[in-house]
Amino acid sequence: MEGISYQRFPKVKIREMKDDYLKFELRETDASMANALRRVMLAEVPTLAIDLVEIEVNSTVLNDEFIAHRLGLIPLTSDRAMSMRFSRDCDACDGDGQCEFCSVEFTLNVRCTSDHTLDVTSTDLRSSDPTICCPVDVAARATAALDPNSAYDPSEQRGIIIVKLRRGQELRLRAIARKGIGKDHAKWSPAATVTFMYEPDIHINEDLMETLTLEEKRSWVESSPTKVFDIDPNTQQVVVVDPEAYTYDDEVIKKAEAMGKPGLVDINAKEDSFIFTVESTGAIKASQLVINAIEILRQKLDAVRLSLDTEECDEQFGELGAHLRGSAV
Amino acid sequence: MNAPDRYERFVVPEGTKKVSYDRDTKIINAASFTIEREDHTVGNVLRMQLHKDPNVLFAGYKLPHPLQYKILVRIHTTSQSSPMQAYNQAINDLDKELSHLKSVFEDEVRRHSRDF
Repeated sequence: MEGISYQRFPKVKIREMKDDYLKFELRETDASMANALRRVMLAEVPTLAIDLVEIEVNSTVLNDEFIAHRLGLIPLTSDRAMSMRFSRDCDACDGDGQCEFCSVEFTLNVRCTSDHTLDVTSTDLRSSDPTICCPVDVAARATAALDPNSAYDPSEQRGIIIVKLRRGQELRLRAIARKGIGKDHAKWSPAATVTFMYEPDIHINEDLMETLTLEEKRSWVESSPTKVFDIDPNTQQVVVVDPEAYTYDDEVIKKAEAMGKPGLVDINAKEDSFIFTVESTGAIKASQLVINAIEILRQKLDAVRLSLDTEECDEQFGELGAHLRGSAV
Repeated sequence: MNAPDRYERFVVPEGTKKVSYDRDTKIINAASFTIEREDHTVGNVLRMQLHKDPNVLFAGYKLPHPLQYKILVRIHTTSQSSPMQAYNQAINDLDKELSHLKSVFEDEVRRHSRDF
Protein backbone atom coordinates (compact mmCIF):
# COMPACT_ATOMS: atom_id res chain seq x y z
CA MET A 1 0.00 0.00 0.00
CA GLU A 2 2.80 2.43 0.87
CA GLY A 3 3.89 4.32 -2.22
CA ILE A 4 7.13 6.12 -2.86
CA SER A 5 7.56 9.31 -0.89
CA TYR A 6 7.43 12.75 -2.52
CA GLN A 7 8.54 14.44 0.65
CA ARG A 8 10.63 17.62 0.57
CA PHE A 9 13.35 18.59 2.99
CA PRO A 10 13.10 22.36 3.51
CA LYS A 11 16.06 24.39 4.71
CA VAL A 12 15.95 27.32 7.12
CA LYS A 13 18.40 30.13 7.75
CA ILE A 14 17.75 32.79 10.36
CA ARG A 15 18.99 36.25 9.47
CA GLU A 16 17.86 38.30 12.43
CA MET A 17 16.23 37.26 15.66
CA LYS A 18 14.83 39.39 18.46
CA ASP A 19 12.13 38.50 20.95
CA ASP A 20 9.41 40.14 18.89
CA TYR A 21 11.00 40.10 15.43
CA LEU A 22 12.32 37.37 13.19
CA LYS A 23 13.65 37.37 9.65
CA PHE A 24 14.49 34.05 8.05
CA GLU A 25 14.95 32.29 4.75
CA LEU A 26 12.87 29.24 3.91
CA ARG A 27 14.17 27.19 0.99
CA GLU A 28 13.36 24.05 -0.95
CA THR A 29 9.64 24.08 -0.45
CA ASP A 30 6.81 25.74 -2.34
CA ALA A 31 4.51 28.73 -1.97
CA SER A 32 1.61 26.64 -0.66
CA MET A 33 3.69 25.64 2.37
CA ALA A 34 4.97 29.18 2.94
CA ASN A 35 1.44 30.55 2.69
CA ALA A 36 -0.02 27.87 4.95
CA LEU A 37 2.54 28.80 7.61
CA ARG A 38 1.76 32.49 7.21
CA ARG A 39 -1.97 31.87 7.51
CA VAL A 40 -1.54 29.66 10.59
CA MET A 41 0.69 32.22 12.32
CA LEU A 42 -1.88 34.97 11.76
CA ALA A 43 -5.07 33.12 12.60
CA GLU A 44 -4.54 29.77 14.28
CA VAL A 45 -1.75 29.92 16.85
CA PRO A 46 -3.48 30.18 20.24
CA THR A 47 -2.85 32.93 22.78
CA LEU A 48 -4.63 34.26 25.85
CA ALA A 49 -6.78 37.36 25.86
CA ILE A 50 -9.39 38.81 28.16
CA ASP A 51 -12.74 37.42 27.05
CA LEU A 52 -15.14 37.96 29.94
CA VAL A 53 -15.41 41.11 32.04
CA GLU A 54 -17.59 41.60 35.10
CA ILE A 55 -17.79 45.28 35.96
CA GLU A 56 -18.50 46.14 39.60
CA VAL A 57 -18.12 49.90 39.50
CA ASN A 58 -17.62 52.05 36.45
CA SER A 59 -17.99 55.78 36.88
CA THR A 60 -15.52 56.61 34.12
CA VAL A 61 -16.38 58.46 30.90
CA LEU A 62 -16.18 55.22 28.89
CA ASN A 63 -19.10 52.80 28.92
CA ASP A 64 -18.73 49.19 30.12
CA GLU A 65 -18.52 47.48 26.72
CA PHE A 66 -16.00 50.05 25.51
CA ILE A 67 -13.73 49.17 28.44
CA ALA A 68 -14.32 45.44 27.98
CA HIS A 69 -13.26 45.75 24.34
CA ARG A 70 -10.12 47.70 25.25
CA LEU A 71 -9.21 45.09 27.88
CA GLY A 72 -9.59 42.32 25.29
CA LEU A 73 -7.08 43.96 22.97
CA ILE A 74 -4.28 44.07 25.57
CA PRO A 75 -1.71 41.42 24.57
CA LEU A 76 -1.03 38.94 27.38
CA THR A 77 1.99 36.64 27.75
CA SER A 78 0.86 33.30 26.36
CA ASP A 79 3.81 30.91 26.55
CA ARG A 80 1.56 28.35 28.19
CA ALA A 81 -1.34 28.76 25.78
CA MET A 82 -0.34 25.78 23.61
CA SER A 83 -0.78 23.38 26.53
CA MET A 84 -3.91 25.04 27.93
CA ARG A 85 -7.46 24.01 27.09
CA PHE A 86 -10.09 25.92 25.18
CA SER A 87 -12.84 26.65 27.71
CA ARG A 88 -15.45 25.23 25.33
CA ASP A 89 -13.90 21.76 25.67
CA CYS A 90 -12.71 21.97 29.26
CA ASP A 91 -14.16 19.20 31.44
CA ALA A 92 -12.94 20.54 34.77
CA CYS A 93 -15.27 23.52 34.74
CA ASP A 94 -18.08 22.27 32.48
CA GLY A 95 -17.23 24.89 29.90
CA ASP A 96 -18.06 27.94 31.99
CA GLY A 97 -14.41 28.86 31.47
CA GLN A 98 -13.37 29.70 35.01
CA CYS A 99 -10.88 27.05 36.06
CA GLU A 100 -7.09 26.92 36.18
CA PHE A 101 -6.83 24.70 33.07
CA CYS A 102 -8.55 27.09 30.73
CA SER A 103 -8.49 30.57 32.22
CA VAL A 104 -6.59 33.20 34.19
CA GLU A 105 -8.34 35.75 36.35
CA PHE A 106 -7.54 39.45 36.52
CA THR A 107 -8.81 42.14 38.83
CA LEU A 108 -8.61 45.88 38.46
CA ASN A 109 -9.42 48.37 41.19
CA VAL A 110 -8.55 52.02 40.67
CA ARG A 111 -9.98 55.23 42.12
CA CYS A 112 -8.77 58.75 41.43
CA THR A 113 -8.44 60.89 44.54
CA SER A 114 -6.24 63.72 43.29
CA ASP A 115 -6.88 66.69 41.01
CA HIS A 116 -4.50 65.27 38.40
CA THR A 117 -5.86 63.04 35.64
CA LEU A 118 -5.12 59.43 36.52
CA ASP A 119 -4.26 56.94 33.78
CA VAL A 120 -5.60 53.43 34.29
CA THR A 121 -3.13 51.20 32.46
CA SER A 122 -2.32 47.55 31.95
CA THR A 123 0.01 47.78 34.96
CA ASP A 124 -3.07 48.17 37.17
CA LEU A 125 -4.36 44.74 36.15
CA ARG A 126 -3.69 42.18 38.88
CA SER A 127 -3.22 38.66 37.54
CA SER A 128 -4.19 35.65 39.65
CA ASP A 129 -0.93 34.04 38.46
CA PRO A 130 1.59 36.50 36.96
CA THR A 131 4.03 33.69 36.08
CA ILE A 132 1.51 32.25 33.62
CA CYS A 133 -0.15 35.30 32.25
CA CYS A 134 0.21 39.06 32.56
CA PRO A 135 0.15 42.02 30.16
CA VAL A 136 3.23 41.94 27.90
CA ASP A 137 4.54 45.34 28.99
CA VAL A 138 4.43 44.23 32.64
CA ALA A 139 6.34 41.06 31.73
CA ALA A 140 8.91 43.10 29.76
CA ARG A 141 9.48 45.31 32.79
CA ALA A 142 9.93 42.29 35.05
CA THR A 143 12.54 40.67 32.77
CA ALA A 144 14.35 44.00 32.31
CA ALA A 145 14.60 44.39 36.09
CA LEU A 146 16.51 41.09 36.25
CA ASP A 147 18.95 42.06 33.48
CA PRO A 148 21.12 45.09 34.33
CA ASN A 149 22.50 45.32 30.76
CA SER A 150 19.15 45.64 29.02
CA ALA A 151 18.41 48.76 27.02
CA TYR A 152 14.90 48.90 28.47
CA ASP A 153 14.05 52.21 30.09
CA PRO A 154 11.14 51.87 32.54
CA SER A 155 10.58 55.64 32.73
CA GLU A 156 9.61 55.62 29.04
CA GLN A 157 7.10 52.84 29.55
CA ARG A 158 3.80 53.87 31.08
CA GLY A 159 1.82 50.77 30.23
CA ILE A 160 -1.13 50.43 27.90
CA ILE A 161 -3.74 53.03 28.73
CA ILE A 162 -7.24 51.64 29.31
CA VAL A 163 -9.06 54.78 30.46
CA LYS A 164 -8.34 58.12 32.18
CA LEU A 165 -9.97 59.15 35.45
CA ARG A 166 -10.68 62.56 37.03
CA ARG A 167 -11.23 63.15 40.73
CA GLY A 168 -13.87 60.89 42.23
CA GLN A 169 -14.14 58.49 39.31
CA GLU A 170 -13.62 54.79 39.90
CA LEU A 171 -13.18 51.58 37.96
CA ARG A 172 -13.49 48.19 39.61
CA LEU A 173 -13.82 44.95 37.66
CA ARG A 174 -13.00 41.28 37.34
CA ALA A 175 -11.81 39.87 34.01
CA ILE A 176 -11.26 36.34 32.74
CA ALA A 177 -8.59 35.67 30.12
CA ARG A 178 -9.17 32.62 27.94
CA LYS A 179 -7.36 30.75 25.24
CA GLY A 180 -8.44 31.49 21.70
CA ILE A 181 -7.30 31.86 18.10
CA GLY A 182 -7.13 34.77 15.69
CA LYS A 183 -9.77 33.20 13.45
CA ASP A 184 -12.29 33.72 16.26
CA HIS A 185 -11.30 37.29 17.11
CA ALA A 186 -8.23 39.33 16.12
CA LYS A 187 -7.44 39.97 19.81
CA TRP A 188 -6.13 36.40 19.97
CA SER A 189 -3.76 36.82 17.02
CA PRO A 190 -0.14 36.54 18.24
CA ALA A 191 1.22 38.10 15.06
CA ALA A 192 1.47 41.79 14.31
CA THR A 193 2.65 41.11 10.75
CA VAL A 194 3.78 38.02 8.90
CA THR A 195 5.02 38.46 5.34
CA PHE A 196 7.01 36.44 2.89
CA MET A 197 8.52 37.33 -0.46
CA TYR A 198 10.11 35.35 -3.24
CA GLU A 199 13.85 35.79 -3.37
CA PRO A 200 14.66 37.60 -6.65
CA ASP A 201 17.33 36.34 -9.02
CA ILE A 202 18.80 39.34 -10.87
CA HIS A 203 21.07 38.99 -13.91
CA ILE A 204 22.48 42.06 -15.62
CA ASN A 205 23.41 41.60 -19.27
CA GLU A 206 26.94 43.01 -18.92
CA ASP A 207 27.66 43.21 -22.66
CA LEU A 208 24.51 45.22 -23.32
CA MET A 209 25.13 47.33 -20.22
CA GLU A 210 28.57 48.34 -21.55
CA THR A 211 26.93 49.90 -24.60
CA LEU A 212 25.33 52.50 -22.29
CA THR A 213 26.99 55.81 -21.46
CA LEU A 214 27.56 56.68 -17.82
CA GLU A 215 24.69 59.17 -18.03
CA GLU A 216 22.34 56.48 -19.39
CA LYS A 217 23.42 54.02 -16.71
CA ARG A 218 22.74 56.60 -14.03
CA SER A 219 19.27 57.33 -15.37
CA TRP A 220 18.54 53.60 -15.60
CA VAL A 221 19.67 53.01 -12.00
CA GLU A 222 17.55 55.98 -10.90
CA SER A 223 14.46 54.50 -12.59
CA SER A 224 14.08 51.88 -9.87
CA PRO A 225 11.84 53.18 -7.06
CA THR A 226 13.85 51.20 -4.51
CA LYS A 227 17.63 51.15 -4.34
CA VAL A 228 18.38 47.83 -6.01
CA PHE A 229 21.23 48.88 -8.32
CA ASP A 230 24.12 51.29 -8.03
CA ILE A 231 27.13 52.36 -10.04
CA ASP A 232 30.55 51.29 -8.84
CA PRO A 233 32.48 54.58 -8.47
CA ASN A 234 35.77 52.98 -9.58
CA THR A 235 34.82 50.77 -12.52
CA GLN A 236 31.64 52.71 -13.43
CA GLN A 237 29.85 49.39 -13.81
CA VAL A 238 26.26 48.82 -12.72
CA VAL A 239 26.13 46.49 -9.74
CA VAL A 240 23.29 44.92 -7.75
CA VAL A 241 23.53 46.33 -4.24
CA ASP A 242 20.36 44.93 -2.69
CA PRO A 243 18.37 42.35 -4.66
CA GLU A 244 15.76 42.07 -1.90
CA ALA A 245 14.88 45.74 -2.21
CA TYR A 246 13.31 44.84 -5.56
CA THR A 247 9.54 44.99 -5.33
CA TYR A 248 8.76 43.23 -8.63
CA ASP A 249 7.59 46.59 -9.99
CA ASP A 250 9.13 46.04 -13.48
CA GLU A 251 10.19 49.71 -13.61
CA VAL A 252 13.78 48.94 -14.61
CA ILE A 253 12.58 46.54 -17.31
CA LYS A 254 10.20 49.16 -18.75
CA LYS A 255 13.00 51.71 -18.58
CA ALA A 256 15.37 49.41 -20.45
CA GLU A 257 12.75 48.91 -23.16
CA ALA A 258 12.11 52.67 -23.36
CA MET A 259 15.86 53.16 -23.83
CA GLY A 260 15.77 50.69 -26.70
CA LYS A 261 17.73 48.06 -24.78
CA PRO A 262 15.31 45.23 -24.01
CA GLY A 263 16.93 42.35 -22.13
CA LEU A 264 19.30 44.66 -20.27
CA VAL A 265 18.35 42.95 -17.05
CA ASP A 266 16.69 39.62 -16.36
CA ILE A 267 14.82 39.30 -13.06
CA ASN A 268 13.15 36.10 -11.94
CA ALA A 269 11.52 35.09 -8.70
CA LYS A 270 13.05 31.89 -7.29
CA GLU A 271 9.97 29.72 -6.93
CA ASP A 272 11.25 27.65 -4.01
CA SER A 273 12.90 30.28 -1.87
CA PHE A 274 11.17 32.66 0.53
CA ILE A 275 12.19 35.42 2.88
CA PHE A 276 9.89 35.62 5.90
CA THR A 277 9.51 38.48 8.32
CA VAL A 278 7.54 37.75 11.47
CA GLU A 279 6.60 40.39 14.02
CA SER A 280 4.97 39.27 17.23
CA THR A 281 2.64 41.24 19.51
CA GLY A 282 4.78 40.06 22.42
CA ALA A 283 2.32 37.35 23.48
CA ILE A 284 4.74 34.69 22.20
CA LYS A 285 8.36 35.07 21.11
CA ALA A 286 8.62 35.37 17.31
CA SER A 287 10.74 32.20 17.05
CA GLN A 288 8.29 30.27 19.23
CA LEU A 289 5.44 31.58 17.09
CA VAL A 290 6.94 29.91 14.01
CA ILE A 291 7.53 26.66 15.90
CA ASN A 292 3.94 26.71 17.20
CA ALA A 293 2.64 27.40 13.69
CA ILE A 294 4.49 24.37 12.32
CA GLU A 295 3.07 22.24 15.12
CA ILE A 296 -0.49 23.54 14.60
CA LEU A 297 -0.32 22.90 10.87
CA ARG A 298 0.83 19.36 11.59
CA GLN A 299 -2.07 18.84 13.98
CA LYS A 300 -4.47 20.18 11.37
CA LEU A 301 -3.15 17.74 8.78
CA ASP A 302 -3.37 14.90 11.29
CA ALA A 303 -7.00 15.80 11.90
CA VAL A 304 -7.89 15.50 8.21
CA ARG A 305 -6.57 11.95 7.95
CA LEU A 306 -9.24 9.52 6.84
CA SER A 307 -10.92 7.68 9.66
CA LEU A 308 -10.63 3.89 9.62
CA ASP A 309 -14.32 3.17 9.00
CA THR A 310 -14.24 5.36 5.88
CA GLU A 311 -11.26 3.41 4.59
CA GLU A 312 -12.78 0.02 5.32
CA CYS A 313 -16.01 0.99 3.61
CA ASP A 314 -14.01 1.93 0.53
CA GLU A 315 -12.00 -1.30 0.50
CA GLN A 316 -15.20 -3.34 0.33
CA PHE A 317 -16.42 -1.09 -2.39
CA GLY A 318 -13.05 -1.39 -4.15
CA GLU A 319 -13.23 -5.20 -4.16
CA LEU A 320 -16.72 -5.04 -5.52
CA GLY A 321 -15.58 -2.56 -8.14
CA ALA A 322 -12.62 -4.75 -9.13
CA HIS A 323 -14.95 -7.75 -9.34
CA LEU A 324 -17.38 -5.88 -11.57
CA ARG A 325 -14.59 -4.58 -13.75
CA GLY A 326 -13.05 -8.05 -13.97
CA SER A 327 -16.31 -9.68 -15.02
CA ALA A 328 -16.95 -7.01 -17.60
CA VAL A 329 -13.80 -7.93 -19.55
CA MET B 1 -30.35 37.43 18.97
CA ASN B 2 -29.98 34.69 16.39
CA ALA B 3 -26.29 35.16 15.66
CA PRO B 4 -24.51 31.81 15.23
CA ASP B 5 -21.79 30.99 17.76
CA ARG B 6 -18.39 32.27 16.72
CA TYR B 7 -16.77 28.89 17.20
CA GLU B 8 -19.01 27.36 14.54
CA ARG B 9 -16.34 28.43 12.10
CA PHE B 10 -13.76 25.98 13.40
CA VAL B 11 -15.45 23.36 15.58
CA VAL B 12 -16.85 20.35 13.74
CA PRO B 13 -20.51 19.95 14.78
CA GLU B 14 -21.39 16.77 16.68
CA GLY B 15 -22.48 13.90 14.51
CA THR B 16 -20.60 15.20 11.48
CA LYS B 17 -17.44 13.57 10.15
CA LYS B 18 -14.33 15.69 9.75
CA VAL B 19 -13.58 14.07 6.40
CA SER B 20 -16.12 12.33 4.23
CA TYR B 21 -15.35 10.41 1.10
CA ASP B 22 -17.41 10.35 -2.05
CA ARG B 23 -16.42 8.00 -4.83
CA ASP B 24 -17.24 9.13 -8.36
CA THR B 25 -19.92 6.85 -9.81
CA LYS B 26 -18.92 7.33 -13.44
CA ILE B 27 -15.12 7.54 -13.42
CA ILE B 28 -12.90 4.85 -11.95
CA ASN B 29 -10.25 6.14 -9.55
CA ALA B 30 -11.89 9.51 -9.07
CA ALA B 31 -13.32 10.74 -5.80
CA SER B 32 -14.00 13.87 -3.82
CA PHE B 33 -13.28 14.42 -0.16
CA THR B 34 -15.29 16.87 1.89
CA ILE B 35 -13.27 18.29 4.72
CA GLU B 36 -15.32 20.06 7.38
CA ARG B 37 -14.11 23.25 9.04
CA GLU B 38 -10.98 23.69 6.94
CA ASP B 39 -10.01 26.35 4.41
CA HIS B 40 -7.27 27.40 1.97
CA THR B 41 -4.58 26.71 4.59
CA VAL B 42 -5.04 22.96 4.33
CA GLY B 43 -6.72 22.83 0.92
CA ASN B 44 -3.95 24.49 -1.04
CA VAL B 45 -1.07 22.76 0.69
CA LEU B 46 -2.77 19.39 0.12
CA ARG B 47 -3.49 20.12 -3.54
CA MET B 48 0.12 21.13 -4.24
CA GLN B 49 1.41 17.99 -2.55
CA LEU B 50 -0.98 15.83 -4.61
CA HIS B 51 0.39 17.47 -7.78
CA LYS B 52 3.82 16.02 -6.93
CA ASP B 53 2.45 12.50 -7.26
CA PRO B 54 2.78 11.30 -10.89
CA ASN B 55 -0.12 8.88 -10.37
CA VAL B 56 -2.45 11.78 -9.71
CA LEU B 57 -4.09 12.88 -12.97
CA PHE B 58 -6.13 15.63 -11.37
CA ALA B 59 -6.19 17.24 -7.96
CA GLY B 60 -8.07 20.37 -7.06
CA TYR B 61 -9.85 21.94 -4.12
CA LYS B 62 -12.58 24.50 -3.70
CA LEU B 63 -14.11 26.50 -0.92
CA PRO B 64 -17.74 26.36 -2.13
CA HIS B 65 -18.95 29.39 -0.18
CA PRO B 66 -17.28 31.68 2.39
CA LEU B 67 -20.07 30.99 4.87
CA GLN B 68 -19.92 27.21 4.46
CA TYR B 69 -16.93 26.24 6.52
CA LYS B 70 -15.77 23.30 4.45
CA ILE B 71 -13.62 22.48 1.44
CA LEU B 72 -13.97 19.92 -1.34
CA VAL B 73 -10.86 18.13 -2.58
CA ARG B 74 -11.24 16.24 -5.83
CA ILE B 75 -8.68 13.63 -6.87
CA HIS B 76 -8.42 11.55 -10.03
CA THR B 77 -5.60 9.01 -10.24
CA THR B 78 -4.23 6.42 -12.67
CA SER B 79 -5.09 2.76 -12.14
CA GLN B 80 -1.72 2.31 -10.35
CA SER B 81 -3.09 4.26 -7.42
CA SER B 82 -6.40 5.28 -5.89
CA PRO B 83 -7.71 8.64 -4.65
CA MET B 84 -7.60 7.36 -1.10
CA GLN B 85 -4.03 6.11 -1.42
CA ALA B 86 -2.92 9.39 -2.99
CA TYR B 87 -4.69 11.38 -0.28
CA ASN B 88 -3.06 9.38 2.54
CA GLN B 89 0.31 9.59 0.84
CA ALA B 90 0.04 13.38 0.49
CA ILE B 91 -0.82 13.81 4.16
CA ASN B 92 2.01 11.50 5.26
CA ASP B 93 4.52 13.39 3.12
CA LEU B 94 3.36 16.77 4.41
CA ASP B 95 3.48 15.47 7.96
CA LYS B 96 7.07 14.30 7.48
CA GLU B 97 8.01 17.57 5.80
CA LEU B 98 6.65 19.53 8.77
CA SER B 99 8.44 17.34 11.33
CA HIS B 100 11.64 17.88 9.39
CA LEU B 101 10.99 21.63 9.16
CA LYS B 102 10.33 21.82 12.89
CA SER B 103 13.59 20.12 13.86
CA VAL B 104 15.57 22.14 11.32
CA PHE B 105 14.02 25.36 12.58
CA GLU B 106 14.66 24.52 16.24
CA ASP B 107 18.30 23.68 15.45
CA GLU B 108 18.67 26.97 13.61
CA VAL B 109 17.17 28.92 16.52
CA ARG B 110 19.61 27.23 18.93
CA ARG B 111 22.56 27.85 16.61
CA HIS B 112 21.54 31.47 16.15
CA SER B 113 21.09 32.19 19.87
CA ARG B 114 24.51 30.66 20.57
CA ASP B 115 26.36 32.63 17.86
CA PHE B 116 24.86 36.05 18.50
